[in-house]
Amino acid sequence: MSDYLTFTHDKFTFEIATDRLYNATGVWAKADGDSVTVGVSDFFQQHNGDVAFAEVFEVGTVVQAGDEFANIETIKLDIDLPSPLSGTILAVNEALDLEAEVINHDPYGAGWLAQFAASDWAAAVKTLMTPQQYYEHTKAEAQAEGS
Amino acid sequence: MDDTTKVIIIPCSGIGKTYGTVSREAAYEVIDVICPQTSTLVPLSKLVLGDEEAKTAIAENRVITIDGCALACATKMVEESGGSVNHQFAVLDAYRRHRQMKPRGISELNEGGLQLAHALATEIAAAVDELQGEENA
Repeated sequence: MSDYLTFTHDKFTFEIATDRLYNATGVWAKADGDSVTVGVSDFFQQHNGDVAFAEVFEVGTVVQAGDEFANIETIKLDIDLPSPLSGTILAVNEALDLEAEVINHDPYGAGWLAQFAASDWAAAVKTLMTPQQYYEHTKAEAQAEGS
Repeated sequence: MDDTTKVIIIPCSGIGKTYGTVSREAAYEVIDVICPQTSTLVPLSKLVLGDEEAKTAIAENRVITIDGCALACATKMVEESGGSVNHQFAVLDAYRRHRQMKPRGISELNEGGLQLAHALATEIAAAVDELQGEENA
């Protein structure tokens, strides 16, 4: 079970799971053995609104870090998600086809997007933000938008 | 037909929100065009303000809510105001059923938004007919 860093801005409270790493868009990556699971952060899902559709590239797709690997359509925006790592998509969360809203309900758990076989996880780690760094990043972003 | 026997439609009050606008356009089509004799609208804002007439209307009639987002303010406000919701519609669910009707715009919906509002209105009208059928049975 994850622990969280939290901050409140205006009427919203955001949670940042401390057991994974993040890119600037709000895509998290969590290594587990040979695979890396990715999803979007609580800040991302609250900031962008209710998810209507989530489409992840097919299993077997090879992506480079920073390249699009999924698209999320919310009531506010269409967002191409940049991959937090280079690798091959091993699995896609099929629940998203019928219940894309699970991303809003459980972004760090059942709302995961895909599992990757990382081509170089050690290199990816160096480019991603720690939970504390992402905490500072999102807090600054929230304050900048609210000011 | 007196208002007291009409199905009450309560759309989202989200101003400046595309999905809220779709909910209201759908509600207007139901009460003004498709089911003018059997449905009427109560503004959500009246319930928020504790308007007694609005509270009485939802307590004594069948209610359909149209929520613009997952916060479901219309549904929650009816329940907090002493009413019960007979049918709950969500614009997002309607969009998931009609993905080709992508809503955009706020004060003026795009073509997709207008089509989605019409599709939603058709579904709501069927629910109004069903509730009226139960009422008359």
